[in-house]
Formats: sequence, structure tokens, C-alpha cells
Amino acid sequence: MDAPRITVDHTRCVGNAQCVTLAPAVFRHNEAVQSEVVDPSAAPLELILKAARFCPTSAIRVESASGAVLFPAS
Amino acid sequence: MTHDQDDLFAPDVIADPYRYFGQLRETDPLHWNARSQLWIVTRYDDLIWLVRHHELFSSAVIGSDQRPPYPPIDPEDRGLFDEVRHFRSDQLVEQDRPHHTVMRGAVHEYFTPTAMEEWRPFVRAAVGELLDAVQPTGWMDVLQALAAPLPVRIITRMMGVPNEDREYLRELADKLLYINRGEPYRMKPLMEGIRAMIAYVEPRVATRAAHPEDDFISVLAGAEQAGIFTRHQVLVNTALLLFAGHETTMNLICNGTLALLRHPDQWAALCADPEGLARLATEECLRYDPPVKSTQRIAVADVERHGKLIKRGDRIRWFMAAANRDPRAFSDPDRFDLSRSPNPHVSFGSGIHYCLGATLARVEGQEVFRALAERFPKMRLASEDLEYQPSIQFRSLKSLPVTWT
Repeated sequence: MDAPRITVDHTRCVGNAQCVTLAPAVFRHNEAVQSEVVDPSAAPLELILKAARFCPTSAIRVESASGAVLFPAS
Repeated sequence: MTHDQDDLFAPDVIADPYRYFGQLRETDPLHWNARSQLWIVTRYDDLIWLVRHHELFSSAVIGSDQRPPYPPIDPEDRGLFDEVRHFRSDQLVEQDRPHHTVMRGAVHEYFTPTAMEEWRPFVRAAVGELLDAVQPTGWMDVLQALAAPLPVRIITRMMGVPNEDREYLRELADKLLYINRGEPYRMKPLMEGIRAMIAYVEPRVATRAAHPEDDFISVLAGAEQAGIFTRHQVLVNTALLLFAGHETTMNLICNGTLALLRHPDQWAALCADPEGLARLATEECLRYDPPVKSTQRIAVADVERHGKLIKRGDRIRWFMAAANRDPRAFSDPDRFDLSRSPNPHVSFGSGIHYCLGATLARVEGQEVFRALAERFPKMRLASEDLEYQPSIQFRSLKSLPVTWT
């Protein structure tokens, strides 16, 4: 399966570190201690969706390779 | 300005923290307060830098600080203070990594935005019931009628305690509010509240450990069985839920209502579209007059900033109330503007300790401001004579009388 498209909204990300703790191969913190995506294919989709759901500011958006929104639910 | 003695509890600083801390932000962004022996951080960028570098600044503020409390307490209460310190050092908010990651991991899922959204119908119903009770009278003290009882209803439900115990827990919550007040006698009511709270929760934890349900005590009891929390930590953090969610939400509701009523054009805008503007309004209320003015860290290494040396062991207080008005981060920061978006205020902190209950607070604020605008578009202040609690941490009105007839 093609890797999902993951975006992190830096106007929302507060560096709470849920995503980098749950999926450290996918997310890492930059110098400002905000999350960025390093490899969207480095973890199962289920774990990526969990990381998005655990974000306390809902900063993470996940789409399928074809563009369907997987998180947040509408 | 007559703050040569740096009295953080001076009546004019309590009444209007924005002027004093705003001036510090512009003239001395890393200020040494000799009187309270601590650094004061007021700029947005500095605050973000400080809270996101948890490896430099420890959250074990009460547990590791051997200095006497500020402002001073009655000398005979030193023993009580030690007891308070023992209690508070087991709070989640006092933990550093690596333990913090594991402890927060055990409770975080309960508080995700998705999970908290499911509480909206309950919150909406509770707001409705509380307002039904006062609507015919034509006036209310927002604090007593709405802001204080609402979070207690929600938290007691989360704790899974019976409705008939609500009043008792509200009494305990009132005692726990002394945790960051300035009165010299504050250790007595605080410790009374803590002891009673522990005594109330203890048998419930034992029951839930044996028969888990879907409440928060069961989550903590499960974390104890998994070896993540000690029993003492379970008790302490159940109590933490009550006071962390109580005064903060009270202040959001009161300070937000006050800001809305003091800006009639913004109140009119909300009344014209309560459902559509409730979210933005809540964020702007949080930014403009935040429930928590400041909180604290302790340096664990020597750190230089603004040409000054913060030494290992130094106390640092950071003021969200000042950072939220930083013109470097927000345009026209002293303007209360419901259309502000994005609104990256720091009222819930930032970094690994970002408020666990942030989404719940947001849902409560949104439901309250929406309901007030729908029901009482003619609402106005019934008194301009408003007073705040003498706290360095909380921005707490003592009452907020309003009328709508």
C-alpha cells in the first residue's frame, strides 16, 4: 500500500510529543520542538492514526495516498 | 509604577496583571524578582523555549525546592507544608522524564480531543440545567450559579461518584483552591481538603481496582495494576483531577464572560451567531484573560538567556498572561477580537506538560458561551466592583454578578 499523506499544522503543534513517542520512525521534533514527518511509510497506518488521535491540539492530518481524509473524522 | 519591592501580590498587580507584567515583557524580559527569589519570563518566544526544553527546566517544582513557600505561611504550619509537598510531589504535573512519559501515557487516551468530544452532550445538558435554575430570577453570580458547579458536575461524573456526593466534593474542591493562594493560613484548609479527598477516594480506588468501569478512577487503578502508578499516586492524581479541572474552568467561564460583556460589539457578534462563533470566542477568551496567569519550573542546569545566567536550582515563573499579549506574537494584542485565527495562545502551556484537560476545558467554554449568548443576549454586568483572589498562579474572580432583565 502507498504511504499515507501526513501533515502537521505548526500553528497548532505544541510539542506535546505524543506522536514522536508513539511512532518515532514517522515523526520527529525539529529545533523548535515541533513535530515533522520524516517517513510516512515507517509505521503501520493504524499506529499513525493513533498518533493523530492522541495529538492534544489535533495538529495532525492523515490522508490516504489517493487523498481520502482518514483523520480527523469529519 | 511603584514596584521597586517587586511585590507580586500587590493589590494593583492582582487587580491588573497585564500592566505590570506587560511592562516587564517590554523592558526586562528575563527579570530577577529578589523579593520572591525567582526569575520572571514574560515574552512569548521565551516562554515557548522554556517549556519545550524540559531537559533544562524541571517540573518537580514543589518536590525538589527546599526553600520556604512564597508568600510566607504561618510558621507553625511548616509541618503541614511538608505534608502538602509530599502529596504534590506525586502529581503528574510534578513529574519529569522519563517517568512523566509513562504516567501521562497511562491517562492520555482518556483525554484525547476525540474522547472529550463525546462529553459535549453531557456538558450541554449540565449548562442547561444550571441556567434553567437561575433564568426566572433575572440575575446570577456567574461564579456561584454556573462556573463553580459546572466543572464539579463533570469531574464527579468522570470520577464515577454518585450525584448525592457532589456537594461534599464541591466543599472539598473549595478547600483545595487554597493550593496557590497567598493567605498565610492557607496550609490549614488546603491540608484538610487533601486529607478528606484521599479518605474519600481510597475505598473507591480499591473497588475499581477489583471491578473496573469506564471512569477515570478505573483508568488510574488499571495503571496501578500495570505498575505505572503507586497507590499514593493514584489517590493524589484523582485529587489532582478535581482541583486542576475546577478553578481553571471556573476562571475560563468568569473571565471569558467578563471579557465578552466588557466588549459589547464582540458580545453582539457572538449573540448573532452563537453556534458558529463559540469556538473562536473560547480561544480568544483563553488568550485575553487566561485562567492561569503563570506557572513555574526549576532550572536543572546553568542556562544563559538575554545575557543573564539562570543558575541550576533557580526558580522560574512564566506568565502566559503576559505572553498572550506579546505584540511580537499577536497583532493588536490588547484588543479582544473573536475573529482572531489562528490564535496560538499559551493558556494551556506548551510542550510535554500541555494541559491534559485542554479539550474538556474548550468544550465547557464553548457550551457555556454559546448558551449564554443564546439565552441572555441582554446580559450585562450588575457590578463594576470586581475583585480577584490574591494568587500568583490563578486569575480568579471572587464573584461576577450579571443581570439580563
